[in-house]
Order: sequence, then C-alpha cells, then structure tokens
Amino acid sequence: MGLSRREFIKRTAALTAASYVGMNLPFSNEESAHAADADTWHKGTCRLCGSGCRLELGVKNGKAVALRGIPESRTNKGYLCMKGMLFYKLMGDNHPERLKKPLYRAKKDQPFKEISWDEALDIAAKEFAKAVKKYGNDSVAYYGSGQALTEETYIFQKVMRGGLQTNNVEGNPRLCMASAVGGYITSFGADEPIGSYTNFERASCFFIIGSNTAEAHPVLFRRIMRRKLDNKDTVKVINADPRVSPTSRIADLHLQFEPGTDLALLNAMAYVILEERLYDEDFITNYAVFRMGKEKKQVDFNQYKAFVKDYSPEKVAKICGGNITPEKIKKAARWFAKSEGTMSIWTMGINQRKRGVWANNLIHNLHILTGQLCKPGADSFSLTGQPNACGGVREGGGLCHILPAHRLVKKDKLRHEVEKLWGIPEGRIPPKPGYHTVAMFEAVNQGKIKAIWINCTSPAQSLPNCDKYRKGMKREDVFMVVTDIFPTKTTELANLILPTAFIFEKTGVYGCTERRSQLTVKAVDAPGEAKPEVWIVREWALRLAKELNDPVIKKCVEPFLGKEPDYALPKAIWDEYTQKLTKGRDNDLRGATYEVLEQLPDGVQWPAPTKEWALKGGTDIKFVRGLDPLADKHAKNDLPYQFYGPAHPDKKLWIWLRPQKGPEEMPDSEYPFYLSTGRIIDHWHTSSMTGRIVELMRANPYAYVEINPKDAEKLGIKPGDMVEVVSRRGRNVLPAKVYVGPCEGMVFVYWHDQDEERMINRVTKDAFDPGSKEPEFKICACRIKKVSGPKPLKPFLVQMKA
Amino acid sequence: MKLKNKKLSKNKKSGNPLPADQSKRLLLKSLGSAGIFFLGLSSKKAGAFSLKASPVKTNVLRPPGAVPEDIFPSKCIRCGRCVEVCPYKAIRPLDIRSGVYAGTPLVFVEEIPCYLCMKCVEVCPTGTLRPINQDETRMGLAVIDKHACVTWSQELALCRTCYNVCPFKEKAIKLDELRPVIIDKYCTGCGLCVHGCQVTQKNGKKAINVEPIYAFRTVKW
Repeated sequence: MGLSRREFIKRTAALTAASYVGMNLPFSNEESAHAADADTWHKGTCRLCGSGCRLELGVKNGKAVALRGIPESRTNKGYLCMKGMLFYKLMGDNHPERLKKPLYRAKKDQPFKEISWDEALDIAAKEFAKAVKKYGNDSVAYYGSGQALTEETYIFQKVMRGGLQTNNVEGNPRLCMASAVGGYITSFGADEPIGSYTNFERASCFFIIGSNTAEAHPVLFRRIMRRKLDNKDTVKVINADPRVSPTSRIADLHLQFEPGTDLALLNAMAYVILEERLYDEDFITNYAVFRMGKEKKQVDFNQYKAFVKDYSPEKVAKICGGNITPEKIKKAARWFAKSEGTMSIWTMGINQRKRGVWANNLIHNLHILTGQLCKPGADSFSLTGQPNACGGVREGGGLCHILPAHRLVKKDKLRHEVEKLWGIPEGRIPPKPGYHTVAMFEAVNQGKIKAIWINCTSPAQSLPNCDKYRKGMKREDVFMVVTDIFPTKTTELANLILPTAFIFEKTGVYGCTERRSQLTVKAVDAPGEAKPEVWIVREWALRLAKELNDPVIKKCVEPFLGKEPDYALPKAIWDEYTQKLTKGRDNDLRGATYEVLEQLPDGVQWPAPTKEWALKGGTDIKFVRGLDPLADKHAKNDLPYQFYGPAHPDKKLWIWLRPQKGPEEMPDSEYPFYLSTGRIIDHWHTSSMTGRIVELMRANPYAYVEINPKDAEKLGIKPGDMVEVVSRRGRNVLPAKVYVGPCEGMVFVYWHDQDEERMINRVTKDAFDPGSKEPEFKICACRIKKVSGPKPLKPFLVQMKA
Repeated sequence: MKLKNKKLSKNKKSGNPLPADQSKRLLLKSLGSAGIFFLGLSSKKAGAFSLKASPVKTNVLRPPGAVPEDIFPSKCIRCGRCVEVCPYKAIRPLDIRSGVYAGTPLVFVEEIPCYLCMKCVEVCPTGTLRPINQDETRMGLAVIDKHACVTWSQELALCRTCYNVCPFKEKAIKLDELRPVIIDKYCTGCGLCVHGCQVTQKNGKKAINVEPIYAFRTVKW
C-alpha cells in the first residue's frame, strides 16, 4: 500500500471533520460538507488538564462549532480526549448557563441583583480600600488559579503586591503541585522538569508512581502506551500505586503498597541500587552532593549509605504491605537503574502527601544516583494537573512566597529587582511571604482577611475539609469577589460575581507541564457582558488608586492604559513580563513574543532568550551544553551538564536523606479505612465545565466510592448500594462500585461531584506538608457502612438562582 | 436452517456455477426483499401487526435472566414485581398498545441502563426471569459501530467511556491500543456502555448498541 499515514489522515479528514462538527451527527457526506463550512479555524490550547494539547477552534458565523487537534503539535500530535473535543460547547452563546452580567448582593443571604460593570468595579474597589484602611494591607487577599492565563495571574499579583502592598497572593496550584516545586528546587536547584515530552518516545523504563495518567492525562498516556506497545520486550513500565488504575493495565510490574508507605518504598529502591552497585559513580562525583535536615547539612556518600541501610527490601516489604515483596522492589530498582533511559512520572499521589516534598526528593534521588538525567529518555518528570499552573502561577509569581520568574519574596535583592523593573518605590513589596492556601482560608475563618478575590477556581469545593473553610467564606464581614464563567459552589458564597471571558474569548498564554508557553488568540465573542480578567483588574486598580489616594497603584497598571482588552492589553502585559521580568532568569522567555508564538503550531519551551532560539521551539532538555543556551552561558567547567539552577549556590544536584513518614491520620478501630480521592477521565476538577457538557455528564453523572471486593463482602455491600463514607470531619453518601481497584482496607472516591452528599472534600483532611504547604488530600481515615440498597441518583450542578 | 441446507446441497449436485456462499447471498437477498415488502405491508396496518411482534430490539431489552421471546409472553404473568423492585426505575411495563406483550417488562438501556443489581430475578415468581448471577446475565451483546465510534473512526480521538463504565472491565470489554473491543463471551448486555456513549447518531442509536441476539433463540419443547 502506497498510502502513508499522513495521506491517510488527510483522506479521512473529511469524514473526521463530520464528527468534529458535533457528536450528535452521524457519519454521512452531508455532515462532512457541513464541517468544511466552518468559516475559520483558530489555533489555541486546551482549557482543561496540564498536558497542553494544541487544538483548533472552528468558527462559523461568529459561533464556536468544533474543536480538532493540531497534528504538528509537539505536545499532543493531534490527539484529543473527549473533554478537549467538546468544550467548545461552553463558548460564547453556546451554553445558556454562562454568567453574563455582574451580580451583587450586600448580604450573603440575599438574592443576587444584576448591576453594571461601573457599579461592580466601584463596589469591589471600595470594599478592598475599606479593608486596607481599617485593617491594614494584609486584610485583603487574592486567590487565583492554575487555569488563569499568565497575563491574568501576573497583573493580579502586580496590583496586589506593588499596589496593595501585600503578599497575600495565592492560587490553587498550592493544592496540586507545590510539593513538586519544593522537590525540584531542593533537589535540582531549579523549578520544573529538566526534560520534556520527547522523552516519552526515548525512554526504555517508565516509573509511574502516584499518577493515574490514563485518566488524568489521557493524551500523554497514549504516547507512553505507544512506546510500550511498539517495544513490548525492551520497554518496561513500573506502576506504583495503592490502587489498580487504568494506568496499571500496561504495567509490567505493579507495586501495590499501602497508602503512605511510598517514602519507604523509594528508599528501599535506593538501597537495592547501592547494594548491587547500580549507581553511576562518575555522575555522583561530578554533579551531586548529599544533604540532610532542615539546615541542609552536607554529608558524605558513606553516611548516605548508612542511612539507606535501614530500608532493606525485606524490611520495607513488610512496611509497605499490599502485594509488595522484596523481589518486586529489587526488580523495580534493577529496571530503573539499568535501562537506557528511565523516566519517572508522578502527579498528585506523590504531591498531595504530608511529606510530598520528601517523596519528590526521593524520586529525584533515584535519578541522580543512577545518572538517569539529562540523557535521552531519562527524566524525573512531574505532570501538572492544570493548564497554566506552571506557566502562570509557578513562573508568573502566583504563590504567596514567589515573585515573577522564580524569585523568592524573602530575598531582598530579588524583591528590589522586581520593584525597580516595575518602577515603584523600593520597599513597596513587603518582605514577608503572605498566607499559603490553608492558612489563607484559616485567616478568612478567623476574620483576619476582610476582602478576598477568588479568580477562576472553586475553593468551596476543592479545599480539603471544605466545610470548615466554607464557614469562613459565609461570614458576613468577609467580602468575597468571585470571577468565573459558571455558577459554582464558591459563587454561592460570594458578594460580587463578575462574569469573565472563557478561553478563545480572550487572548493569552498557557504554560504546560514541559515548560512550554502556548498562545491562544481570541476567536469568538464572550457572551453578554463577560469581560477578560486583565481588563477587570486594570479598571479595578484605577479605582483602587482613587479610593486609597495612592498613585503607586495606578503606576502598576500605567503601562497598560488605553489598550484594547482583547489583544493589545494582554500583549502589553506579556511583553512586560517576558522582556523585563524573565530577562536573565532561568525561565528566560524573551524570545517567546506573541509574534513568535503565533507562528508556531505549538509554542516555545524556556529557556528561550532569543527569537531565533524560540522559533526552533526553545529548549528541549535543560542543563545540557549545546542544547540549553543558558547551560553554555553559565558554564563553569568543561562538564557536559551545567546545573545552574538559582537555588543551589554550589551548582550541584542534592541527594537528600529523607526518612519514611506516614500520613497525618492513620486508620484506627473507629475509622478503619484509608480514604483516597482522584479524578475520572470524563470530568475535570470540580466539573463546573465538564459537568455542563451533556455527553460527558451522561457518561459519569455522579461520583461513587470504589471498594475492594473483599472489604465489600465483609461489610455486606453489593454493587450499587448506597454507602456512607464518614470521617472525623464530614460525611458522604455515595453508590458503591465493588471493584479490584483500591487495595484492601482502602476506599477511593472521585472528587468532581457538586452534590452536597457526594462532595468528598467535606470528608478529606486538611493536614499539609510543612515544606510545601500542600494538603494531604490523598490519605485520611474513614469508616464505611451500607445505608440502603441502590437508589436512582440525579446529577447535580450549582445553578444561579434568579 | 433445514431449508438452506437443502438448497445448498441441491446446488452442488446440479453443478450450479454459483459458489455456495453466493447462492446463500441470493437467498438472503430474496429474503431481504420479501422482508421489505412485508414491512411495507405492515406499515399500512401497523396496529394489527405489532400486536404480535416482539417489542425487543436494539437497546430495548428484557431484564436479566429473561427466557426467549418465543415463550416470554406466555410465561410472564404481568405481576409487575420486577418493575416495582428495580431501584433504578430501569424496568418499565408495556402498555395495552403492545398487544400480547402488554404488561411485560422492558429495559430501555439508552435511557436507564441495567445496573445488574439482580433484584428483579429474585422476585420473579414464574421463572420468566430465571434466578441467575450477575455475570451470567445475557440481555444482549454490545456491538460497536466502528463508523460512528470516535475512537475507531477518527485517527486522533481518544474516548473510552464504554470501557470506563463497563462493570466487567477487562473481561467483557478490552482496549486494543486504546480502542474498545467487546469480548462476546463475557458481555452481559447491561447497556451501561450504551447509556454512557457520547455519540448519538441521527437514527437515535449510539456508537455502541446492545443487540438482543439471545432473545430470539428458538425454544426446544
């Protein structure tokens, strides 16, 4: 057959396009004619997970009608999951439930009233100014999102820090990848992965721990699966997870340990690597040092060996329980160390742990010990859950302790650098980091924060132990502004709801997991009076400046005055951020201008200091001379790898001595089960978007609890029975799914459901990692009981009460 | 079956140039056209005809454990217990317009699928729904329409909702390089996949449909 794959794709394009038009149409010529009618196709990035899939939006008569993948893209290679194919149904006037007008109520028990933008911005400015005047600068806060565009996070934090002089700038990435940040900085000295997705096609061993990639990142999972299936005998997949998930399906080895014993398991793998001399001595001597404790005390190799001696596979197999045997640990360690290139992949299973940073460190340890870094296929790769957690929040300064471009708030030099670049007086940004997420909502509970702006996220559902924090959000003396596109659990508690534009209704950049910044340009109009956040912040800041009589606040938005909000305004913000703030930093994005980003099918991976470099796609692997322009620039010696990360003055990789540490709450006689939570493929986070796509909602109308068949038998629970899941904090009643997924003694619940009875974050625990401040969503103790037989259930989404 | 065999052997003997399968095709064709003719007739006096036709068809199935359609209407006493006991309200009784089938139970899996709680088979007093186990249920067989299924028909789409919702994942349904494949030996025909399927075709069918292939077995007396 002389038919290449590409030609085949082309030929089927017409057919393919037919179903792009709408899933409700059958295959026929009539429909393919329809698809060709889409007037224009606009490049952009998927709104949902952190994979950064590139896609095109089909627009017909100003209406979004279809989405399709871009085959030239280096992230998804044209593939899309169903969420990515269907979210055009939320754009413009396609969805009747979109928020279209600013809504206000003075008291939280009153119904909302429609008001004009002028009134809304006045109210927001007055309330924030009132709080600042009466209770000080730290009585106001911004809680953002890894889904906001980089421009949005940047301008929000600029106004909060430079204008309102507070570091109370946080975001939901604290709940999902703060531990990964901590891990990368403490182990490698620089945030974000060294390599990129290209390693999927080059790795010969995958170590997937604490990630259900198949459901959470289906498009990336396809690449892993492809690699495995094309090289069945040479590529090994190890999956370590207390739950058998769809990801385990392709695994050669499944390590099912009891929740909370992961640190011991990782140390045991290090034990085997040392015991069997599988480490790379040259790599360790050239690039690594050993450290321990809070004071980062340097120790030597022998001390590390002595530390790891405590974690023999025989001993650890007993700690880990589940299906773990010493042989399995040894096998995993051998595959890991001996392969041509080993790639570790993890997400929330590792990050959302009481000692998430340590768990991250221990994975990095294995890579440093075996030299599985910087070479093709070798990487220690944390996947991100949100489309712009990396680009916007980690790089853009969206957390309480960091300023844009990986600068720490507490470092005077870096803080003053930012003040200078912004042209505001030195000392304007306070030196003390603000409240981290849990502390911020604790402060709301205690009435210390009087005005809070929540943008593009729903903490009322996504915070652990959310009932506790909803109490604070319900307080009458806490003024809450929520900017969102749909009603959520959080808008229910707001004073002021501001309708915003959705992706493709505004312009801006998303930065995905692999350091790649990708631009989406406006293609359709936002419904009603919904506005882009950048415009909202600019107008609000101008009013704040007047209310507080503070010209510096105005100064913060001065470069952006008079720009039209759909393209020129975000472009000006992006230019300021990239050209001024990232200059000379490790995430140098000066080459990635809007012009460059628009030319590329996907985007640019930083470091990209020049346009020429950016046009090539940027840096595939960091720290390698010849591949990373900054590695050449910072080179101190002749070694091929230069770990120039700003956080490690010795320019070395650090191997950490981290002991096993269990979860905060262990099962006991009263609450004998482990409870873990996670995502399902068809829904994304709080399902405020995916729940509104009929096809997706139908596929998974409500959350359920997965119970191991052995436990179900003991408790007399049959499939479909209504089961009560109770912890010390709250109670849920969900239908049971009896399934060999979770290990014995563990139950698993999906967290997307908005129904009060099935909202699992009312049950989870808000203990957090003292290092990264990321809560331990993944483990708490609960008890389960059958309450009734099966019941017909209805899907539930928060609606706006008229 | 007898008739077909006869015809085929006759062909062979008389040295008919048509290969066996072609003559079979001919037969099927003629049967088909007869069927169409019949349909045409029946549409003229639809009421009278449907009184005797089984209401069981694609995605419209009998509850678990049902005896074949041949004897279902004579065995079922229309007590309605299965309808009453179904916690999901998936089982519906047919009304008078269904002729001899009036009062018998049906599951419209596209609307509400069968969650295989097996409560109905326990309460059936006549054994019309035989007391079987969950995994022995054969309400039908799920069939993927590979032209309509986005994962099969499109090069670049990843959907596996049917796989996700299947109660016998990895047994009744598997993924072949991320594309769903039904294993007929284990498929119960519960219809959860039909209900979940994100593609609705113009004719109302999904990209995966349950065909009641077991309902029309002939009963040996």
